[in-house]
Amino acid sequence: MPRHLGKALAFAFVTVLALIWLVPIIMMLVVSLMPPDQRAPRFGGLLISGVSADNYETVFKDAEIVQHFINSMAVTVPSVILVVVISSLAAFALARLKFFARDLWFYLLIMTLMLPIPTLVVPIFQINKALGLNDRYLGLILPYTALGVPFAIVILRSFFAGFLREIEEAAILDGCTPFGIYWRIMMPVSWPAVAVVIIWQFMTSWNEFILALVTMNTNQVKPLTLVPLVYSGQFMMRPGPMFAILTLITLPVIVVYYLMQRFMVSGLTAGAVRG
Amino acid sequence: MSRQWLIDNQGLFFMAPAMILFAVFVLYPIFYIFNASMYDWDGINEAIYIGVQNYIEMFTDDRTFALSIRNSIYWTFLTIFPQMFLGFILASILTSGIPFQNIFRIIFFMPAIISPVVLGIVWQRIYAPFGGLLADLGREIGATFLIQPYIADPKIAIFSTIFVNVWQWTGFSMLMYVAGLQGLPGEVLSAAQVDGANTWQRIRHVIWPMLRHVHLTLILLGVIGTLQTFALVYMLTKGGPNHASEMLPTYIFQKAFTLQSMGYASAVAVVLLVIALGASIFQMRVLGSRFTIGN
Repeated sequence: MPRHLGKALAFAFVTVLALIWLVPIIMMLVVSLMPPDQRAPRFGGLLISGVSADNYETVFKDAEIVQHFINSMAVTVPSVILVVVISSLAAFALARLKFFARDLWFYLLIMTLMLPIPTLVVPIFQINKALGLNDRYLGLILPYTALGVPFAIVILRSFFAGFLREIEEAAILDGCTPFGIYWRIMMPVSWPAVAVVIIWQFMTSWNEFILALVTMNTNQVKPLTLVPLVYSGQFMMRPGPMFAILTLITLPVIVVYYLMQRFMVSGLTAGAVRG
Repeated sequence: MSRQWLIDNQGLFFMAPAMILFAVFVLYPIFYIFNASMYDWDGINEAIYIGVQNYIEMFTDDRTFALSIRNSIYWTFLTIFPQMFLGFILASILTSGIPFQNIFRIIFFMPAIISPVVLGIVWQRIYAPFGGLLADLGREIGATFLIQPYIADPKIAIFSTIFVNVWQWTGFSMLMYVAGLQGLPGEVLSAAQVDGANTWQRIRHVIWPMLRHVHLTLILLGVIGTLQTFALVYMLTKGGPNHASEMLPTYIFQKAFTLQSMGYASAVAVVLLVIALGASIFQMRVLGSRFTIGN
């Protein structure tokens, strides 16, 4: 088979598959733009009789979507910052310093990666209850941080471990402390790995569901991921506003992913894939 | 603890925040579920110690638990291998220099970043028997096999759910293979080409074996992902009909927060924990898959 023919076939194959792949996402958008007078969308809503922004108006009027968005941000942003700070400190120590039982600490932390989060919902619910953190942002920020730190350590540690020792030794001779090496030498050049940590932690915190479901009981404090449940009764017979909600939930992660996606492949190569 | 010891071990200060969070939100919860699994407890009233009674009930007289285990086995095999296979094909094509390959990568990866809560509701509409995408399409073009009670029939509900999961995560496998393929040394590939190996032989005998670490990582992540599955099932089928698509996490949630049996839910959680750690240790020791632990 001539080379260009093979390439053309491959191109045709991925084009068709990509179009099929997009159907559910396109459907989400299309149904959200459905005019309110169209009662029953056909083809699951892929065919609509016109385009209108009424559903979005309805959502902003009848649902406290802005409040839920703020709630999601209030949980996600602090957990991202905490994960970057806490895991980079730990990853630096694990990659560069010698201390008591270092490998044991590392294996314990890595064990968390194998832990299904649903095993922890009952105890975390009870811990939050005891600390008075149910219905509080902190009741999600702390567990999200704790569960996000191990993956971030894996990524950052392998990045730090790849650094040349010479620079560090020169810095030590100049009287630089370990914290100085971490803060002034390592961190400023580690943004590719930090970007992967940020994108990953943002996505997992933004989309996390089971802990949010048991921790946040008052509608006022619920993050966006719980919003479909909050309004499923109200909008049960009206797919338009419901799908507008779904689109609004999805938009922020797509934006964050799009802005940072060029770091993803290199970050994954540096971290999880290396065997 | 002398001053010198602290100076020699200052790494511990760097580790401290991570270790404290780990102790409170991981270590303590593990002890907690082991302890709570020995009690008959609704979460509010006094807990009654019943020994291993919860476990006995689970393994001898609990149809839903058995179904959850069965579904986890289906899920493991029917997600991991199709995702790897399709992901590898896509990655091979999308690293070969065809036009728009970056855009294609973004499209295939996109479902992986969208909340399963959102996807569950969208797919309900695709699977709906009336006005659903597949059923309407089937009626329109006369392909009646497309008209199925995808999530209403206990026999196929779990497979319909698994299908959505494959669609969601294939792009992730693709991205891992893209990263793996880009990391392969170019000399080996051109050497194979000089030796006259055709495309198929190159893939089969050179590239596929050299990506062993990616295959193993994907299997490891796939097993962990399977055992965590909650949101998609909860939104798409609620574990039904009649528990036919129940997974261990949805069952734990239902026992703990709908039926108020915190003790029993903890016992199921212990079993899930043991399976997860057992499977991970098995894979790391026997297959050699791991997260980059060495360098």
